[in-house]
Formats: sequence, structure tokens, C-alpha cells
Amino acid sequence: MSGFASELTLKGAAIEAVDDFQSVNDLYLARGWSDGLPIVPPSAERVEQMLAYCDRPWDEPVAKIPPRWGEATPIRIAANAVMAGCLPEYFPLILLAIETMCEESFNLYGIQATTHQCAPLIVVNGPVARELDINAGHNAFGPGWRSNATIGRAIRLALLNIGGATPGTGDMSTFGSPGKYSFCIAENEAASPWEPLHVERGYPLEASTVSVFSAEGPHNVNDHESTSGKGILKMIANTVAITGTNLVTLPGGDPLILFGPEHAATVAGDGYSKMDVKRYLYEATQVPFNRFSDEYIERRMKVLYPERWAADGLDARAPMAGSPEEFVVIVAGGSGKHSAFIPTFGHTPGVTRALRRRDGSYARSVRDFLKA
Amino acid sequence: MCELTKQGLVAAAVCSMPFEKLGRTQAKVLGVPDLPLLMIPHPLGGITLDVVATRADVAAGQLVKLIREKFA
Repeated sequence: MSGFASELTLKGAAIEAVDDFQSVNDLYLARGWSDGLPIVPPSAERVEQMLAYCDRPWDEPVAKIPPRWGEATPIRIAANAVMAGCLPEYFPLILLAIETMCEESFNLYGIQATTHQCAPLIVVNGPVARELDINAGHNAFGPGWRSNATIGRAIRLALLNIGGATPGTGDMSTFGSPGKYSFCIAENEAASPWEPLHVERGYPLEASTVSVFSAEGPHNVNDHESTSGKGILKMIANTVAITGTNLVTLPGGDPLILFGPEHAATVAGDGYSKMDVKRYLYEATQVPFNRFSDEYIERRMKVLYPERWAADGLDARAPMAGSPEEFVVIVAGGSGKHSAFIPTFGHTPGVTRALRRRDGSYARSVRDFLKA
Repeated sequence: MCELTKQGLVAAAVCSMPFEKLGRTQAKVLGVPDLPLLMIPHPLGGITLDVVATRADVAAGQLVKLIREKFA
């Protein structure tokens, strides 16, 4: 037994189990410590290996995760990262993502406990995304990529096991979402004609960042016919302008528009800057009141927008965001004439934070976090 | 409500039936495990004002009982 393992045992922080994959998995499933899939047994040795990339005190909480408000110490997060199948190199990003989503402005309590189906989506930018080979291209939201799959899963396991987001008790989502298993991509910066998300949000290009959003699953926008930027934007806007999202009554939610690289090239090629795109979408995605049910208009739209109702009646329109700037424009995915709309929880802006060394400088590589 | 209770006030949270476990868990982790929950039927959305009034009646009865017990 290593010194680390002895320390865990002395503090009562570890459990003993038969050293067998099936037995450990049976135990974890029985105790509700899994997402339902088999886990890698988080032995003391494996957890210690995960913590090789942690430059913080291992037992000091970096955040408290709602709704249980469990203390997220590096040790606990590392155990969940082991269970998810992560490489130790992924750990600095996982720690940063947990810290970021626990900032008060992100409203993680609401996201965890709501009946809505949102889940924290992680978008990674900068050189560390490439260093860790986080998929930004074909099938970025899909399977087959260890970093995307296990980083997202580690975060979900932490939300379950530390945060107590147990279905029906701490997580009251009516449906849940496949994104509650794992939800992590990188922006396809190499294929983007615009500045990447982290630069737009004030970080230098060489910084590596994690952005978190309260996201529904992506809804595809198929457009193989439009040959102009205006045409593609019109098709996207009409996919966004629907009545059933939270955004339409809870602006301030940073709706995400993921441009496929081919659509992005066409739109930018016609001279649209990112801000031009946002201004267009803000205007063109507003939903006419006449698309809502009579009761919805009476009980919600009139109350939210009395001046618009008084001026235009059923022709009044409800915005999907509080301002054009709230639209989050990202380039992701591979070849193909597709883009995607990701509605969010509403009233919950995304948060972006950079990987930093202990001296506050931007980390250039996860190797910066290796213990001396 | 937990903070109000800690300050010595009589406080309770209104909670619909499917959310009872979440409510009890929250009360516990926020340091007031015996926080009274005024339980009402679900749902709260998509109901008429008449039904809202019946929900309020259910909660009000429990609230009056709670206050009487506290000051008995």
C-alpha cells in the first residue's frame, strides 16, 4: 500500500472492496455511485496517479456542488475521473470545469435540480484542447473519442456523486438528456473564419479555456441548398425561432449556434463578422406571439412583454435573447452542410475561465500542472 | 427559509409532492433538517387560477397549524 493509500484509510476516506472488477462494480451500482455504466475501480493507486496533474492541496475543496453542496476536493474529483476512464492529463481541465460551473452566476443548483433537460456543456478552447486531442471535428458530440467521452463523464459522475444529482431526488428533470452522460467538445478553431470563443470573451489566443453552458441537446440545421450567407442564416434563424424553448421567456441564456465549417465559410465569405451574425439572429429569431397558445399569450407573453403586446397584439414578437451579444457563435464539427442550435436553460449565461498556473499566468500545457 | 429559521423565525417551504425528497435533502444539507414543508399536490404549472386557489388552501391550512403549534 502506498503512503497515499494509507492516508486515505486512516482518515476513513476510503472503502475496502474485493479486488475484482465485477465486485467493485456491483458495489458501486448498488450504492448509487455510478451513471449506470461500468466504472473503473478508483483504487488509491489510480486516484494518486490521477492527482499527479494537480497542483492544489488534494483535500481542500475547490467548490461545493449543488444540490447536496458536497465538497469537491481534488481527491474526490480524481476518484470520479478514474471511474470515468480518464487519463491523468485530463485532470486540470476537469478541475477547472467543476470550479467554473460552481460559480454563482452559472446557477448550477437550478441546472442540476430543474425539471428542464439541460446539462452543463463543456466547450474547450486553446492549445490544451489540441494537446489533449479533444474532438472538434466529425462526430464531436458522438462516441469514439476518449478525451471527449471521459472528461464529460468524469464531470457527470462528480455532479452525481459529489453534487447528489440523483434522478428523482436531486435531479428532477422530466426527461434528462443523453448529454447527462457526457457533454464535452472543443471548438474547431482551425476551421473557423472568426475569432474563437475564448478570444471573443477576452482571453489571449494562447490561453486555454473551459466554457460551460446550460445546454439542451443540439438540434440540427440541414441546409444543402443555400449558397449565400444570408440564405444559411435565414435557415438557421427559422430553426431557432420556436415556441418551446426556455429562451423565449427567459432571455439571458446565451443560446448557442454551432456553425459547421462549411456553413461558416459561406457566411463569413459573404462578409458577415461574428457580430453581424449575432445581430441578424437577434432580429430574425424573434417569435411572433400568434404562434403561442391563447393561454400562453394570456398568462405569460402579455405579462412578460406588456408594451409589445399593447403596440402590436398578436404580431408582437418575443426575442430569444436579451441582446444580440448573448448569441454564442461557435464553429464545430466536420465536413457537411449542417449547423446546430443548442437551446439553454435561459437566464443562465455561460461562463468561460482559463487554465492558469498557481502564479496566475496562463498554462500553455497540462504539463504545467505536474507536481514538482 | 433555512436562514430565516436559523434566525429564529417561523418559516416553511411550499413543496409539491414529487419534490418532497429534494426539499427534505435541501433542508438537511442547509442545516435545518426539520424545516417544515407545506406539501401540496402537483403540478403547479398548467393549472387554472381556481386550482391554484385550492393549492393555496392546502398550504394555508398547514401553515396555520404550524404557527399554532409554534406558539402554543
